[in-house]
Amino acid sequence: MKNREIAIVGMGLHPWGVWKEKSMAEMGCYAITEALKDAHMKWQDIEALACGAYMWIADQGGVPSLLLGTSISTMMGGTGIPCVNVVNACATGQSILREACLAVASGEHDIAIAVGSDKSSGGFFRPQSRDPLYDSDYFRYAMVGETNPGYWAMEMRRRIYDCGTTEEDMAMVKVITSKGGVHNPNARYKREFTMEEVLASPMVCDPLRLFEICATSDGAAAIIVVPMDMAEKFTDKPILIEGLSIGSPSFGDPCISLTYLSAYPKMEIGVGGWSESRNALAAAYKQAGRTPDDIDVIELPDNSSWHYLTYMDMIMQLEYGGSDKLLREGYFNIPDGKVPVCPSGGFGAFGEATVTQGLWQCIEVADQLRGDLGPRQITNNPKVGLAQSYGYAGNNGVCIMSKAF
Amino acid sequence: MSKNKVPLIEGLFTWPSDQPRLIASRCKKCGTPAFPKSPYCTNPNCEKNTDNVEIIELSNRAKLYTYATQTYPLPEPFKMEPFEPFPLGMLDFPEGLRILGMLTTENVEIGMEMEMTVRKLFEDEENEYLTWAWKPVQ
Repeated sequence: MKNREIAIVGMGLHPWGVWKEKSMAEMGCYAITEALKDAHMKWQDIEALACGAYMWIADQGGVPSLLLGTSISTMMGGTGIPCVNVVNACATGQSILREACLAVASGEHDIAIAVGSDKSSGGFFRPQSRDPLYDSDYFRYAMVGETNPGYWAMEMRRRIYDCGTTEEDMAMVKVITSKGGVHNPNARYKREFTMEEVLASPMVCDPLRLFEICATSDGAAAIIVVPMDMAEKFTDKPILIEGLSIGSPSFGDPCISLTYLSAYPKMEIGVGGWSESRNALAAAYKQAGRTPDDIDVIELPDNSSWHYLTYMDMIMQLEYGGSDKLLREGYFNIPDGKVPVCPSGGFGAFGEATVTQGLWQCIEVADQLRGDLGPRQITNNPKVGLAQSYGYAGNNGVCIMSKAF
Repeated sequence: MSKNKVPLIEGLFTWPSDQPRLIASRCKKCGTPAFPKSPYCTNPNCEKNTDNVEIIELSNRAKLYTYATQTYPLPEPFKMEPFEPFPLGMLDFPEGLRILGMLTTENVEIGMEMEMTVRKLFEDEENEYLTWAWKPVQ
């Protein structure tokens, strides 16, 4: 951030799962309370709040869920602070963290919090209306019947065709990430999977199998940021936010992002696939003054095995398909790879809680940098980490953090 | 008496027709197409003027870029009765667009030349509701 360096000094998570009896506001308050404890602060110290706005409004949340931050702050006890509600699909976590950081970086506030709370465990993400003029997503869903895994499977098929990715590579992703979930108290699925189990799981969207796609979950997370020069008042293990960027697609992107019916590929003008993800990465690397070689730990959106491999290609700036080989060589292993990927257990162990998962990913990277996670702690003594989220309709968020103690 | 066959959503493909085609838009200035039609040209370097955009019908032949099979039933508002697992794909058009659509068969290969047709999604007492779909060129 240009005007002030920003530090993470408090983090809180509500465990991921299916929490039928809890409201989103209650889960959000739990996450805030944990973050306040972590930063040795009181709620009255918070000067600004940015909250993720819930996306599944028609089926479940209604208008109050679009204004969730206000409900959460009322439940915590209203203190009159600015409270904004932001939605950027699965990149909402990084987006609200960015809002909190900008509030502090500008000098307007000294202590800001980003909070997300989400109940996505109903499964099947689908259009929220039946009026195509209001909701273009209705075209895609009603006329083509494309679901999220359907889209991922088409991309996976093409990767297999272009790069020779194998059935075993796809299964290996789950085998490796599940090792992180086992020791994570906040994960929903805490068990290891074997190659045989993954390969024997039912074909959901050929070529993707059941254990190669993630579930949908409920969860909540909160992160408190302050100027780096104030950080020692709150923690002896501050984490510096070096780069934090949100990406949108560039004209000419060949991908048909979820919710869209078409793309207009213009490879000749130099626009690659998933340009929103490349744009967010490039901007975050530039802000941080880092290159892929500097990154010691990564949390990425492993919604499916296809995502994991594709995001590793992009994050490490490998040629298309390059991550397959590194995966086979154990480069991304948990906890002892050269660059462990998804040591939290990833989406495979957590499941998608749409607008809050970006915060959880940042918290996992920051926790690994703090370095006291017991059996889940990665063993390469990480100094710098990256958390990336990928959302509906071409939304992306990247946060690069480093150890500042 | 046979029922009326109608598109589930009007205005996306030409109908009734023996050779249905998708209805798109194109910028008269720079040639950028869009599907479904867009009121403005989506090229960031082109003028934003709705008068520049014309309606076009796309080729009824396209090349299969990729495909997958949906094996499980989808909740509403998708409706296919009776439900059966179905393949879907992305197709590359001569006009430069890549577009989603259902396929009539899983027996396809990437790069295959496909032809546009229609398929029934469901019916009620009066109508059969249709969407577009793609079949291999015979």
